[in-house]
Amino acid sequence: MSFKKCRDLVLGVVMLALSVAYTVYARQIKTRPKLTPSYASARIIPTLLGVVLGVLSILLILQGIRKLRAAGEVQGEKMSRVDLLSVTLTFAAMVLYIVLLPNLGFILSTIIFLFLQITILAPTEKRNLLLFAVIAVVFTALVFVAFRIGLSQLLPRGPIEALLGF
Amino acid sequence: MSVGSLIATGFAAVLTPTGIFLMLVGVAVGIVFGALPGLSATMAIALFLPVTYAMASTDAMTLLMALFIGAISGGLISAILLHIPGTPSSVATCFDGHPMVKKGQAAKALGIGVVFSFLGTIFSTVLLMFLSPQIAKVAINFGPYEFFSIAIFSLTMIATLSSGNMIKGIIAGVIGFMFSTVGTDPIEATARFTFGNTNLKGGFDMLAVMVGLFAVGEIIAAAETSHHKDEEVVTQPSMKGIKGFGFTMKEFAGQWWNALRSALIGMGIGILPGIGGGTSNMLAYTVAKNSDKHPEEFGTGRIDGVVASETANNATIGGAMVPLLTLGIPGDTTTAMLLGALTLHGLTPGPLLFQNQADIVYGIFAAMLVCSVIMLFMEFFGLRVFVKLLTIPKYILLPCVFVLCTIGAYALKNNMSQVIACLIFGAIGFAFKKFGVPTTPFILGFILGPLAEVNYRRGLMRTGGSFVPFLTSPISAVFLLIAVGVVVTYLLRSLMGKKREA
Repeated sequence: MSFKKCRDLVLGVVMLALSVAYTVYARQIKTRPKLTPSYASARIIPTLLGVVLGVLSILLILQGIRKLRAAGEVQGEKMSRVDLLSVTLTFAAMVLYIVLLPNLGFILSTIIFLFLQITILAPTEKRNLLLFAVIAVVFTALVFVAFRIGLSQLLPRGPIEALLGF
Repeated sequence: MSVGSLIATGFAAVLTPTGIFLMLVGVAVGIVFGALPGLSATMAIALFLPVTYAMASTDAMTLLMALFIGAISGGLISAILLHIPGTPSSVATCFDGHPMVKKGQAAKALGIGVVFSFLGTIFSTVLLMFLSPQIAKVAINFGPYEFFSIAIFSLTMIATLSSGNMIKGIIAGVIGFMFSTVGTDPIEATARFTFGNTNLKGGFDMLAVMVGLFAVGEIIAAAETSHHKDEEVVTQPSMKGIKGFGFTMKEFAGQWWNALRSALIGMGIGILPGIGGGTSNMLAYTVAKNSDKHPEEFGTGRIDGVVASETANNATIGGAMVPLLTLGIPGDTTTAMLLGALTLHGLTPGPLLFQNQADIVYGIFAAMLVCSVIMLFMEFFGLRVFVKLLTIPKYILLPCVFVLCTIGAYALKNNMSQVIACLIFGAIGFAFKKFGVPTTPFILGFILGPLAEVNYRRGLMRTGGSFVPFLTSPISAVFLLIAVGVVVTYLLRSLMGKKREA
């Protein structure tokens, strides 16, 4: 079964769960009954939103079931293994970048991230590691000069920044 | 101050050495973002926001308007030369623009596209200059009832119109609204959905959400296809023997009615929330085709098609600025970005802006006019450079874009909290794409939600719990009525559609 065929059903179930959790929390929001009447309290809109999302997600589940029952296999664009790997690695590189930033500082982590990310995204036959390394270093330097020096924007500090005196 | 002197002050504020420099850079970068498929006007503005943090408000808005205008018209370059629209605003430009290239009329197609983009922008800006102060005068008397109804009206329009699937559209809007409830309650000042996390007390930052959803989400999505071989061949148009913009005065004069009609369509669509340049170019093209004596010639390289599409999408810019400036209500993602930028500079768009900061409003108008002129010349005569840039591979471009997103998010609070938020919203944006949920209603739910909530509760507190005044205030009633009408028509139409299928 392709993903496209059952995605409405999956989405509907996830949304239903979200609406239940949201509504439960919404009922626990602290209010100040002396200050604001109950019809205008901090709970009122969140509760309403939770209920509306619940109704919509049930409609979506019904629509999803109907789609599933509809005859014939939908020719869904299946994600190939290479594509899935590329998306996972891209996301992983972004997470790594965010973890590195406060520890290694802007310059070092950006060079590492750019090099990794360009290598992940580039088609195999175009992979030129030396060129990618040069691009990573040059772009990082340009951005650092433009933002840190040109615009006096603060950037995460690390060993290289300390060495350069920023 | 009279309107004339306000306009003069606007030009004076913009035509400084810094201002001119910013407009030149902004238009050039905007054109590049527009021309590159996968990069959009929204992304261009998102990336340049951190650059504007330290600028004066007028300079900041000048730069952002330059990016907006450049990006909307830049889409025509790839639409005509590659047959791939650079942005959704230029889809219809492909239809007749590319056949013209095949007939050897590349320069003519580009010239017409650029000149009518220019005319569309100028037309809508002038209309905006006369319309918006009048609307602001009316809007200044709006209270909670009116603002609540306008917010609900906008949300309904966006949820139903911006997607093919109304349930998913509304779900997206509701989730956006839900994310806006995180943080300190605006009326009772109690914590909502913060789960004890102090970073969440202030709520999610509008800019982190938008950069995440649009820029980061797009980059993750692009990772999926980056391994596929693209066989784009960029044709360098020959400019030999081209006089002026490549078309004759007679051809130009023959288009006046088509251009005017398309400009009005573009302007009108821009004013309505939820539908923007992506719709207006298609609609203007269809109208031009259907009212022509030879509709079958469309698609074979008629200049009328390029004129309709490009005039309409640029006229949408002026239209979209009307609700943003007069009511503080963005109609699409690009104007939502601009709202974020204005807020960042301590300005609150809305009727009061015209009273208190008229200099900035007229500075924006002046910037729009000057930028169109810059765009006209830069895009046509600098074409070869822009075409060269189309060959930069995406696998190099996108990681660099992500670094710029990160800097922008970091700069919001000078710590990592917004960078993390940005990545989370990037993942949400990617998931939305996979599940076929539109992102535009999410953003507008996030922005308009608080407006609706605060005004609803204020209104009820004023009336002691009665909803009646929301319905008896004429303006409020009209907007609520239209909102209900839109939903009912949509439901009826989808029911009828199903019956016909069966």
